[in-house]
Amino acid sequence: MTNDALAQHLSGLSVRLLHRLAKNRLVRHFRMGKTRLIQSLLNLPPEQRAEIETTLTSLLSEPPRPSKPDKQGKSKPQPDAPRHPAPTSRQHQVPTEPAINTQALLEGIGVPQPQPFKPDDWQQDAIDRLATNDVILSVPTGSGKTYVAIEAMRRAIEAERTVIYTSPLKALSNTKLTEFSQLFGADQVGILTGDRRDNPQAPILIMTTEILRNLLYDAASGEIDVRMDTLGLIILDESQFLADAERGVVWEETIIFAPAQSRLLLLSASIGNPEEVAAWISSIRSTSCHLIHHRNRSVPLRAAYLDPSGKLAPFFRTRDIAHGKGFVLHPETKRLFANYEDRTLGPRYKR
Amino acid sequence: MGLLAGLLCAPGQFLLHCPPFMPPAIHPVDLLQVLRHQRLTPAIVFLTSRRACDEAIASFEHRRNPIPPTRSAAITDVLDHMMTAYPSIAGHPLIPTVQQYGVAAHHAGHLPSWKIAVEELMRQGCLDAVFATTTLAAGVDFPARTVVMTQSSVRKDRNVMELTVNEIQQLAGRGGRRGKDYVGFVVVTPSPYIDLGPIANGLTNHPEPIDSQFVVSYPMVLNLLKAHAIDHIQPILEKSFAQFQLNERADTYETKLDDVDMQLETYGRRECADWIAQWQSFSLARKRRSHHRRNTQHDPPEISAQLAFLTPGRAIELSRNQAIILRQYRSRGQGAPMLTVVRSGGHVIEYPASAVTAVIDEVIEVTEARRFPWCTPQSLDHAIETLERFPARLRRLPIRVDQDGADNPILTETLRDEFPCPTCPSRPACQKDHPQALKLRQEEHRLTKTIHAMRTELWHRFQQHVEVLQKFGYLTPACQLTAEGDWARLIRINHSLLITELIRMGAFEGITASLLAGVLASIAHDDDRPASFPGRHPALTSTLGQVRKVAHSLSAYEEPPLLRWDVAAIADRWIAESTLPWNELIRSTTMAEGDVYRLLARTLEYLSQVHGLKATHPGLAGIARDAMDLMRRDVLQELP
Repeated sequence: MTNDALAQHLSGLSVRLLHRLAKNRLVRHFRMGKTRLIQSLLNLPPEQRAEIETTLTSLLSEPPRPSKPDKQGKSKPQPDAPRHPAPTSRQHQVPTEPAINTQALLEGIGVPQPQPFKPDDWQQDAIDRLATNDVILSVPTGSGKTYVAIEAMRRAIEAERTVIYTSPLKALSNTKLTEFSQLFGADQVGILTGDRRDNPQAPILIMTTEILRNLLYDAASGEIDVRMDTLGLIILDESQFLADAERGVVWEETIIFAPAQSRLLLLSASIGNPEEVAAWISSIRSTSCHLIHHRNRSVPLRAAYLDPSGKLAPFFRTRDIAHGKGFVLHPETKRLFANYEDRTLGPRYKR
Repeated sequence: MGLLAGLLCAPGQFLLHCPPFMPPAIHPVDLLQVLRHQRLTPAIVFLTSRRACDEAIASFEHRRNPIPPTRSAAITDVLDHMMTAYPSIAGHPLIPTVQQYGVAAHHAGHLPSWKIAVEELMRQGCLDAVFATTTLAAGVDFPARTVVMTQSSVRKDRNVMELTVNEIQQLAGRGGRRGKDYVGFVVVTPSPYIDLGPIANGLTNHPEPIDSQFVVSYPMVLNLLKAHAIDHIQPILEKSFAQFQLNERADTYETKLDDVDMQLETYGRRECADWIAQWQSFSLARKRRSHHRRNTQHDPPEISAQLAFLTPGRAIELSRNQAIILRQYRSRGQGAPMLTVVRSGGHVIEYPASAVTAVIDEVIEVTEARRFPWCTPQSLDHAIETLERFPARLRRLPIRVDQDGADNPILTETLRDEFPCPTCPSRPACQKDHPQALKLRQEEHRLTKTIHAMRTELWHRFQQHVEVLQKFGYLTPACQLTAEGDWARLIRINHSLLITELIRMGAFEGITASLLAGVLASIAHDDDRPASFPGRHPALTSTLGQVRKVAHSLSAYEEPPLLRWDVAAIADRWIAESTLPWNELIRSTTMAEGDVYRLLARTLEYLSQVHGLKATHPGLAGIARDAMDLMRRDVLQELP
């Protein structure tokens, strides 16, 4: 390119672009006016001049796009400054609707074929351990704690021992009564409440934990009310109630006063310190307490976000819920929720 | 008007006080439509309140898109089957909605029988959605394919609390049925009560550790002392999870304590056994002693060194000229050392001692006097003459400034007979190490105290309860149960002290069954949500007035119950009118059906405890028996 042609091209550019070309090539270029800038650019040594020429041709071929992202826009507002940021931001906004893969999120919904039931290893382990040890089961909801309880009951009955099953709520006691009656037969299951005893001679007794605590107190003071000597197994359902502000003490009392010869089976939802509870029970009971603790759900769980508009998006970046590794929300969920907040709270009230 | 007020107030209040402007959530019908469309049903939708659940159900009636008749028929079949076991389900106002739209509400405001029916419907796969509250997460014991969460915080008592990780996982855990689903879902949908952070955290994070909530109660003390001698109690208390956790914490404090002890040992042996305490009391005494000599204390060392030379007749140099001292004194206010001097030219002027630039090795004869000019006129004249004759430069006295001379007199003289420190060889070391060592020593004391408190806390609480029980005569001074204590231990419920005291003072003598139930209901009920019951019952109000007085007198030992007469009236009426149908009772109060059921069920439990006293109080136990028999009818008979 000749001097004149280059000079002509350069004078056609905005001052802003000239400054960009001069950056790192000329000293104190920001102090120069347009004419002096062009002069100085023309006077550059040949290798730098070649660079300028190539940049210039690329600029001329696609004028609106800057050759590289730059922070020039942050300097003083110049008359033609908005020309460049505006198109770029617009261009960025077009592909913001990312392809959300709800297909992947929702795939595999359905009812599995009925399969012959095969207990998991941990379930079998728990049942075997109960022959000699106390056991704490701290596993996710719905992964099969009840199966362990039922098998343990069955074994206790075969050994002609009685079983006490406690739950924190009367409503749950009733559900369990129906469930166990169907499994073992109505004559095998009894229920004790404060004022009523249905079938108290049955090998399986269902009651709330408070009632069991009272029985244990009565037994301790010599008024044996229930067949404590044949009691083989105590199952405490929802043992995380140990941390209940009002009633937690009842669980503690029950565990402390549970007869030495009967085994304890604590069924609990996931808690943070099952090891500590197991260590405690081991320290006060004659046999050690075996802890079975895992976080694998038998049915995998996925999380989704549903916008009030009816749009469904994955909640996390990963499809399945990952445990204990932190989380990253899906960008689409973030965007939808931000929109929701904008719309409902209005930009002024946004947190 | 309300709208205007809403618009005028500040933005924060604006959002709080104007429910109509609350940000909208997805409409329940639309929600279910999306879930159905994506094959995400059956679902459990957790909502913030009972009212929200009921309104969600009601909203289905306005949009007419019923489920196919075959499914309706299946629902009717299941419900009919349930009705034979639980007649109270029949005629439930929600039944038509359930049959037509395949949705139901499940919360504590419903009767247990209804909740059982809903659970059964869900288990049989008849329903598409159940709207439930978060408050009883443990009570919702049925799975679904999808769990819908609309909130990250819940109302607990009067506060809004963020859901814990445990709670969120308990809720989310209902998603995905074993053997019926390949995969379960948690669907989060926004509402005014939601923030995504806590929910995402709750879904992915480790659950919180649980802490013991052990409390010592009066029945516990009585029952323990019934079975064990007082000497054996402490080992029993030490078996608690509370003590186990306290011990663990105490152990970490023990290691800290060892650390502090190690640091203290690095100071090595000193002359006295407990040098930190010794130095502490010595420095205190020194401070106190020097307080009396405040006037001299603050002189800088160079001035106090000069003072001994600044006697009458001494020639000194001031900044510009020479002078002869006439007297030395201390100013009245600050106690600063002052001089009266005669300057060349015969001026008698006051100067602070600090104005002296040099002391000259020259003393003249000056006869002091009691009054201005503080010397005889002759000596003044002599002094002025001498000053005139002085050459410009005179020999200055070199004055040695002793840097720690300031407290030397106290150190060496005043406290010598009381403390060994001033002459002790390890004094410099003590002085240097003391501040740091004192901090460590205090830390050591603090830790020792904390550890001791942790090891004995439960035992102390037990002893406090023992003292109260002795005071009221349930325990002998030797900590054995008295005759009273022997029956009182059978009352193992909240507010046991109030109930046993009422029995002892004969408050229940000749009481009717209904009144007894009413009183016990008001003791058992601990919810302060409003529940109106029209019409006052004079006998009930006066009895409750007496109970309230007793409860108030016991308030130092036991938290008094709410003792609401309106809930008492419900129990009272249920027993007094033995033919009253359940619906009639519910219509007379604003309390929800489920709440009334729970109230009566709890009253039954209290009554059964009173009935347990049949060996010692046959009359009262008989009344309690009657009350229980009368109470157990209709709905209350359905469940064991």
